[in-house]
Amino acid sequence: MTDTRTLHRDMSRNPLLVSAAWAAVGVPLLWGVIQTLYKAALLFR
Amino acid sequence: MAGVLERGRTVAPSTYNRWLIPPCALATHLCIGQAYALSVFNLPLTRQLGITKSVSADWTLVELGWIFSIAIAMLGLSAALFGTWVQAEGPRKSGVVAAVCWGSGFLLGALGIYLHQLWLVYLGYGFIGGIGLGIGYITPVSTLIAWFPDRRGMATGLAIMGFGGGALIASPLSDALMRHFASLTSTGVVQTWLVLGVVYLVFMLGGAFGYRVPPANWQPAGWSPPPTQLRRLITDKHVRAQEAIQTPQFWLLWVVLCFNVTAGIGVLGQASAMIQEVFRGRIGPSAAAGFVGLLSLFNMGGRFFWASLSDRIGRKATYGVFFTLGPVLYALVPWTGRMGSVALFVAAFAVILTMYGGGFATIPAYLADVFGTKYVSAVHGRLLTAWSAAGVLGPVLVNYIRQLQIDHGVPKYQAYNVTMYIMAGLLVVAFFSNLLLRPVHDRYAEESDSSTAPIAV
Repeated sequence: MTDTRTLHRDMSRNPLLVSAAWAAVGVPLLWGVIQTLYKAALLFR
Repeated sequence: MAGVLERGRTVAPSTYNRWLIPPCALATHLCIGQAYALSVFNLPLTRQLGITKSVSADWTLVELGWIFSIAIAMLGLSAALFGTWVQAEGPRKSGVVAAVCWGSGFLLGALGIYLHQLWLVYLGYGFIGGIGLGIGYITPVSTLIAWFPDRRGMATGLAIMGFGGGALIASPLSDALMRHFASLTSTGVVQTWLVLGVVYLVFMLGGAFGYRVPPANWQPAGWSPPPTQLRRLITDKHVRAQEAIQTPQFWLLWVVLCFNVTAGIGVLGQASAMIQEVFRGRIGPSAAAGFVGLLSLFNMGGRFFWASLSDRIGRKATYGVFFTLGPVLYALVPWTGRMGSVALFVAAFAVILTMYGGGFATIPAYLADVFGTKYVSAVHGRLLTAWSAAGVLGPVLVNYIRQLQIDHGVPKYQAYNVTMYIMAGLLVVAFFSNLLLRPVHDRYAEESDSSTAPIAV
């Protein structure tokens, strides 16, 4: 149990892991926002 | 395997990086937020048999409308029924259950579409998927509040922003998948639902297995709770869900959420038709779709903005802003229509929609302030019945009053004016409901025993 916790601690501080976690949700969200903005632009044409 | 899901196995070390928790919450909410984009399937589903055009045996829009209604009703019901279970079992187990319900709901729904059995779609997406919606919605709430006691609003706002953002992803993604799978013999909906079901299942499971809860008595480094006299509405006691629903504060907040959602949901459902009728000849269907997309963006952005702001100015003040500015904007909408100003019309609704989203996103932190953090998921689950009620009330009010106006000879472009004034009135009632809120009496709080508290921050 202690080993697992130590592993979690080390991993959780890894900038690559944190960046990957945020990218996994951020990239699809950004794609959705861009698609929506593109569609919304029709309103002002 | 089951042991991996137990709450005890998710307790993190005190040095754990809490910024890994919001992406897990977003993974859950971005998937279940698809529910707001369900309408993208409406037209293809009405020609599932005819493929290029509807035939007599095809489903009607009215029949299809029930899929969403059942799902939203199940969201409120399951959040209320399973809130205590979610709180007790922890985010990993409830996250896995939500993922299985949501993913399998799609798969069963796809089978229903393939066999052209609407009851299977109701059962799959509506009933089972709806349970996934409710459990998934409340799953990250108490975990985020426990990890971010210093920024409760921001943390829950971030997750609930995902629910708004889910539709922004699902709508173009579904469109692209249907175009990819469409053929002379298929609308592509079945294959799209199969793909979505698997993708959502994997994504939500990834989020669920990433959840960790903080150890007992954990606090962020260098932070300590502000003194009680500076935070009159923020309690350090804990009220169980069963006791919470007996307090006037719970029902005042129920009215606050219900009326705020009623006002927003009524507009969202009719936004496309409304802008086309108010600005007839100037706004076509494509531009109206752009308007709906823009409202979704502001709905999503408002969730993060207002919930984060509430950490600084307080929850009561935040809702005070909603219910002061909201009625003014609703009352101004008919005037912007008479002026013929599309820009002002859009701007008014954009701000209104930020407050609609903000109302959803700020309520978990408000509940944590008023009833304590320990049972907040369970209390939140019960409060979400206000959403179900608003889901019926909002569209009924807008549709019924509009039709009544038209039946009485009011031109279509003016048919929404009375509705706007009624929405403004609802927000005034919500203003007083929020104003009346006082701290919960100590007799409702459980005996303090921090040593056994699963979440002590």
